[in-house]
Amino acid sequence: MHRSAIRQIALAAVAGVGLAVWVFPVIWGLLTSFKAERDVLAYPPVWLFKPTLDNYREVLFGASSILPNLWSSCVVSVLTTLLTMLIAIPAAYALARLKYPGKRASGFYVLATQMLPPVGLIIPYYLALQRIGWLDSYSGLTATYLTFSLPFAIWLMVSYFEDIPLEMEEAALLDRAGRLRTLWYVILPQVRGGIAVAAIFVFLNAWNEFMFAVVLGGNRVRPVTVAMFNFISVEQTQWSKLAAGAMLAMAPVILIGILAQRHIVKGLTFGAVKGGGRR
Amino acid sequence: MAQLLSAPTLEAQERRFALALFVPALAVLLLTTTVPLVYLVWNSLHRLDLGMPWLSGFAGLGNYTKMGSDPRFWNSLLLTLIYTGSTVVLQVLIGLSLAMLVMQFPKGQGILRIAAILPIVLAPVVVGLFWRTLVLSPDFGLVDLVTRALGLGSHNWLGDPQLALISVIAIHTWQWTPFAFLVLLASLATLPADVYEAARLDRAGAWQRFRHITLPLIRPAIVMVIILRMMTALSAFAAIFAATGGGPGSATEILNLYAYRTSFSELNLGYGASLAVVLMSMTLAISYLMFRLRRAR
Amino acid sequence: MTGPGSVRFEGVVKRHGETTVLHGIDLAIQPGEFFVLLGPSGSGKTTALRIMAGLETVSGGRVLMDKRDVTHKEPGERDVAMVFQSYALYPHMTVAQNIGFPLKMVGVKAAAIAQQVAEAAAKVNIGHLLERKPGQLSGGQQQRCALARAIVRQPRLFLLDEPLSNLDAKLRLETRLELHALQRTLGTTTVYVTHDQEEAMTLADRIAVFMEGRIAQVGTPREVFSAPQTMTVASFVGTPQMNLIPGRWEGSAVTVAGHALPVSRTAPGARDVMLGVRPSDLWIGSSGLPARIERIEDLGDSAIISLTGNGQILKSKGDPQPSRQGGDEVLLTFAPATAHLFDPHSGARL
Repeated sequence: MHRSAIRQIALAAVAGVGLAVWVFPVIWGLLTSFKAERDVLAYPPVWLFKPTLDNYREVLFGASSILPNLWSSCVVSVLTTLLTMLIAIPAAYALARLKYPGKRASGFYVLATQMLPPVGLIIPYYLALQRIGWLDSYSGLTATYLTFSLPFAIWLMVSYFEDIPLEMEEAALLDRAGRLRTLWYVILPQVRGGIAVAAIFVFLNAWNEFMFAVVLGGNRVRPVTVAMFNFISVEQTQWSKLAAGAMLAMAPVILIGILAQRHIVKGLTFGAVKGGGRR
Repeated sequence: MAQLLSAPTLEAQERRFALALFVPALAVLLLTTTVPLVYLVWNSLHRLDLGMPWLSGFAGLGNYTKMGSDPRFWNSLLLTLIYTGSTVVLQVLIGLSLAMLVMQFPKGQGILRIAAILPIVLAPVVVGLFWRTLVLSPDFGLVDLVTRALGLGSHNWLGDPQLALISVIAIHTWQWTPFAFLVLLASLATLPADVYEAARLDRAGAWQRFRHITLPLIRPAIVMVIILRMMTALSAFAAIFAATGGGPGSATEILNLYAYRTSFSELNLGYGASLAVVLMSMTLAISYLMFRLRRAR
Repeated sequence: MTGPGSVRFEGVVKRHGETTVLHGIDLAIQPGEFFVLLGPSGSGKTTALRIMAGLETVSGGRVLMDKRDVTHKEPGERDVAMVFQSYALYPHMTVAQNIGFPLKMVGVKAAAIAQQVAEAAAKVNIGHLLERKPGQLSGGQQQRCALARAIVRQPRLFLLDEPLSNLDAKLRLETRLELHALQRTLGTTTVYVTHDQEEAMTLADRIAVFMEGRIAQVGTPREVFSAPQTMTVASFVGTPQMNLIPGRWEGSAVTVAGHALPVSRTAPGARDVMLGVRPSDLWIGSSGLPARIERIEDLGDSAIISLTGNGQILKSKGDPQPSRQGGDEVLLTFAPATAHLFDPHSGARL
């Protein structure tokens, strides 16, 4: 009894440390975003300070406002998510359930495209987009974001489709639904959860994307991940503003993370078990 | 003959439907991956230096031979191996230990899940910036506060070449260990309790139970985690870019970053393309090997 | 209904890559019949059913319904309803929506759907469950829901794929009776697949016994039981299995291990045969084949006695034998008219 209690406490302590390591930096950032610049640079660190909203005001409405960047991120992420799900869901259904020539090869192809490291694609993308004038545009960015969203979404959806018993389609066909209506009325409602998970991941990945955004974006379309660098220059780092900006930039994904945590965990483990996944 | 007659209806209809559903995805993928890939390889066979445009032209395998004698290339290769290897090993070790720990506390799982999700959903570039400023800054960063309090003094975590490598490995590990943790936790949760009870009756100790029951049963999950984390580590860019930019000098310049810098900072697109091709081949080879390993076992 | 409901198979062949699952099947099912496809697993009976449904293609031969060739028709075009072994209920829809789905698919108006759904549900006694989802139903209720979905369309043909196999024993017996009654009321041609010969015997108007991709016999339950055409059919139908004893048929007796056992038919000439006697036709008497009792299973109102005779295990089923016990040496006899004779090599009935 005694030994077990000590063991429990020790385990709890280690778990607590783990928790702290992962949560604390974020909390630290949150605290910093409410500090005035001088409080940030104080040593020993100031725990009780007068919180101020100045940083947020600056970051949102000031000279270096990131509002247009938040908008850019929003547009690109939403567009990417919609387009990806529209294309991925039917493709995944075909891969999971239907017979057609070259099915195995195409499945392998989709898997292989996930293996391409982005740095390899960015050079051709840059040159190609430049040629058709799609640099610094929503179309250009969205189109390139499809590269990593599509294979991932397809593979995730395939595993969800495979979970539905085959007899579902047979019963629906016998009920005169035809293939398209079978998909719409019978199959899709059953993978609603999977669609949500896939959409969440696609959105997260798009929102957090940096490399494509910085190379292929520009002054008009500059997602918030790139805008972070506004607060860092060679001379100085605007600490508290950076913290505030980062908090705003990450607010949507953190919110989604907390609200949809069950979905996300399911998606991670599902995707990991069945194979594939950028994250 | 009968087969041809039966083809027009049941099977052919399915085929047409399937292709109609699949072709858009195929078209997009071809356009966004295969075509650029071909273009990339094409570029790698050229001298395309925007800094010295008059030298442009077909170079055959010139870029690749140049690589052979490029010390910066070999440095980046070594760094890639160290980076990828250490972070994956650390992630699995820490993730697994934590998962096993947490299995004993069914109650705390909700909080831990949120805590674990937080680093994963953050943008790697933000994580990099965060660590660069708030965590690793000399004098003001979290780490320095701790080391100073412990009497270990202040260090230039990102400015010193050795420390920089350790720092970026730490950053990557910090962000992605929760992934390994969550996946392994889920895997551990599926293990049947009665197998352990049988083992206890067979007088197996804790370590033996781990080695002979737990480990083999979660091996598929561990392998999957290793594969996925390797892929991410090989293509890690944003966090390192934000934290060190590849520096100081080339101390954290993994192959990924070297290719980027060559193409977009030094504007030597041809050579950069060839570096990217090498990285791509490496990634494909490793993932192929790992998948074969997974299937073989 | 769009036709009386007759089904014909003409030389239907089904191949799966290298394996032939069905070797040229011929069937003629009459309108309104309750027709059972009986056989062990892997015998091809389920494949035959799925071919009727249009869920499998044929590699050769034709399928006709009401004299029209439907071999290449889509499942939805055949006016056939099927109850799957797993019921295949749509989990995200209510019972009412499940039952109404086939009507919705052909464009029936909502008001008419509601009425027809109510009627169908009443016929299987689930009228009070219409707003529940399949996940909230018991196994028996789910099965009725699947049935209702099949009957609501008033199709020309019902196909049932081992619909009772997921129910517990008691429920199975009750449902069996209800199914039979339902079919009689509706009068729709029904094709029913099972491996349970007791089910086949009680439900069928006629049975087709499937063995290894071929039909071994077609007939009424009585015909299949009392006049099996092959040894395999004879062993498959009837519990416990028919006793098969090798012997020599001469005159009007079969000699087994030196003992002449009288049978009701005279041999055309002396020949080797396989003598078949059902356990219920074999009893302990004052003359016959010597055997030793190995075990007596007392079932209360009857007993199954396992004996060793002629170097093989024989079974007898009959009244309880309280005076007998293991080790007793007895003589086994049977009424000559109840003996079955088969060719030992081909297995065919003589």
